[in-house]
Amino acid sequence: MISKSKRINGVSPPINDERSTVLELRRVVRQYEGTPPVRAVDNVDLRIATGELVAIVGPSGSGKSTLLNLIGTLDRPTSGRLFVDGVDTSELSDSALAGLRSARIGFVFQQFHLLSGMTAVENVAAGLLYRGISRTERRKRSTEVLKRVGLGHRLSHLPNKLSGGERQRVAIARALVGDPAIVLADEPTGNLDSKTSNEIVELMHRLHADGSTIVVITHDKELAANLPRQISIRDGKLESDSTNRTPPLSVVQGAGR
Amino acid sequence: MKSPFTKGKSGPWKSQLRPGDVIGTGTVGLRTRRARAAFTAIGIAIGIASMVAVMGISSSSRADLLAELDSLGTNLLQVRPGQNTFGDSVKMSADAPGMIRRIAPVEAATSVSEINKTVQRSDKVPSNTKNGITTYGSEANLASTLGAKASSGRVHDKASVKLPTVVLGSVSAERLGITDVETAPRVWIGGKWFAVIGVLEPLPLNPEIDRSALIGLDVARSTFDVKGLPSSIYVRTTPEQVENVRSVLARTASPGAPNEVSVARPSDALAARAEVDKNLQTLLLGLGGVALLVGGVGIANVMVISVIERRAEIGVRRALGATRRHIRNQFVVESTLLSLLGGLLGVAGGFGVTAFYANSQGWLLALPVQGMVFGVVAALLIGALAGLYPAVRAARLDPAEAVRPAA
Repeated sequence: MISKSKRINGVSPPINDERSTVLELRRVVRQYEGTPPVRAVDNVDLRIATGELVAIVGPSGSGKSTLLNLIGTLDRPTSGRLFVDGVDTSELSDSALAGLRSARIGFVFQQFHLLSGMTAVENVAAGLLYRGISRTERRKRSTEVLKRVGLGHRLSHLPNKLSGGERQRVAIARALVGDPAIVLADEPTGNLDSKTSNEIVELMHRLHADGSTIVVITHDKELAANLPRQISIRDGKLESDSTNRTPPLSVVQGAGR
Repeated sequence: MKSPFTKGKSGPWKSQLRPGDVIGTGTVGLRTRRARAAFTAIGIAIGIASMVAVMGISSSSRADLLAELDSLGTNLLQVRPGQNTFGDSVKMSADAPGMIRRIAPVEAATSVSEINKTVQRSDKVPSNTKNGITTYGSEANLASTLGAKASSGRVHDKASVKLPTVVLGSVSAERLGITDVETAPRVWIGGKWFAVIGVLEPLPLNPEIDRSALIGLDVARSTFDVKGLPSSIYVRTTPEQVENVRSVLARTASPGAPNEVSVARPSDALAARAEVDKNLQTLLLGLGGVALLVGGVGIANVMVISVIERRAEIGVRRALGATRRHIRNQFVVESTLLSLLGGLLGVAGGFGVTAFYANSQGWLLALPVQGMVFGVVAALLIGALAGLYPAVRAARLDPAEAVRPAA
């Protein structure tokens, strides 16, 4: 089990597992008031370890978007506890959660959500904006990450001069630039054609192989089947978890190509 | 709305935005929507420009007027006969100028006496033709007391004032078609020829002299057989004693009935022009204020629209770690900068209008520093105020809602 003690100065307490836990949900409920009240997320227990590449899959209306918002701390559980990097998020203030997101969570959206009028580098650098890092340092790190995702030749392009796949790579770079504990990708291939989708999936495998923890939320079972671990959700409850079939780290790296 | 989020501890991670980046995020909206920013700023620019221009023009005008008053002097008093308690017009005694001269702080006093004779260019013009020129019998010290100068020829001296000579006021000369005395012109006054020996420059404090023909008082008396009682006495005092002299003048000029003469300071009339300007100034300032208000409402409006349009951006920034405060500051800074842009344009525009107008009036340009500072400060305040409500709305957006794909 996860240690309840708080993470101190970025050092996770040791956990009785082969890998440390980066995310843990304990009986998390998210209920929307109404008549009758709707439980979009109903009593979910979940644990994701450092370095995993996980698909959370479910049809629309299954509660997977709500689950993503909870994991990303954009929303709060009605009850239950959610630990990110060993910290109980239910105790944190709104601005402390913002700090948590700035340092430990990277987001990738279906619509990319790049800021128009800013170049690729500037968009990626926005991922470091709220960390109090100097502009020069932000640009330097952003350039490095853009090269990592294969966009070294597109640094000064505006989003409207980039293809869909390139835009999503910029968005992924933005999520990665702060070196987060976990990257949350919401339907990252939802707006892309199948060839480009494959490239993005391939990129995620490669980043996973480099050690990034990635959670992909999707309704696409085919995409989910390509990832090492699948958690399926229906009516707000976990339906199945392939966690027992998660291969050891070394095998995952091999599969990542 | 805020209550469930304010509780709780600060965690091990802190979201922070550098001061330079606060400005940077505040300019994103302006940089990516330039045309809209420009149009929005115009409202404020017009308001500020009109206020700066009004302040600039009125201060230039006042400066000019004060300079004029300075050169004319405010120590000239004028005594005129008024009406007695029965409403009949009264006359001042011929001794009045002499008595006035005995008041210690009086530097000079001179009288003019209206002679009921018309002034004509020649004896061929019918004598009942009116031209609005008054004939005055005057003393030799008139020009020195009023500070009058001849634009052509010369003013009366002790010799010429005893001869059938005439000095014309500027308006009179124009009406008679006599611009200079080179050709030794003559005019026909009450059936006698008078030689024009001089034409006076305009006297802003004494417009009645501008429209007069001045002949010697003694000449008038002997030629036209009139008493020549003073119809106006001009008194030049030492500058410090103007009010003291003023208070005793009526009694001195008309000891029996001081209420029957009126004492005025001609420079007061000129100073009153500044007061008249003040009304117009208030009106224009009011209009400028309305323009500012409308400009401020326009900014608030555009900012509300901007917040709605940029929902996704706000959501993304929240996801990237911006706190509510960061979002709020971003939009307040944006609206303040937008308004400041308008304010600076307005200050420049208002200054331009002031410079142009002052130049066209031949005034010295008084830099409306007060107006300019006011303009910039007003723009900053209006911008911050106009941006506050949209910014608070932006900060309150639910981030989970904001990043959701548009349905």
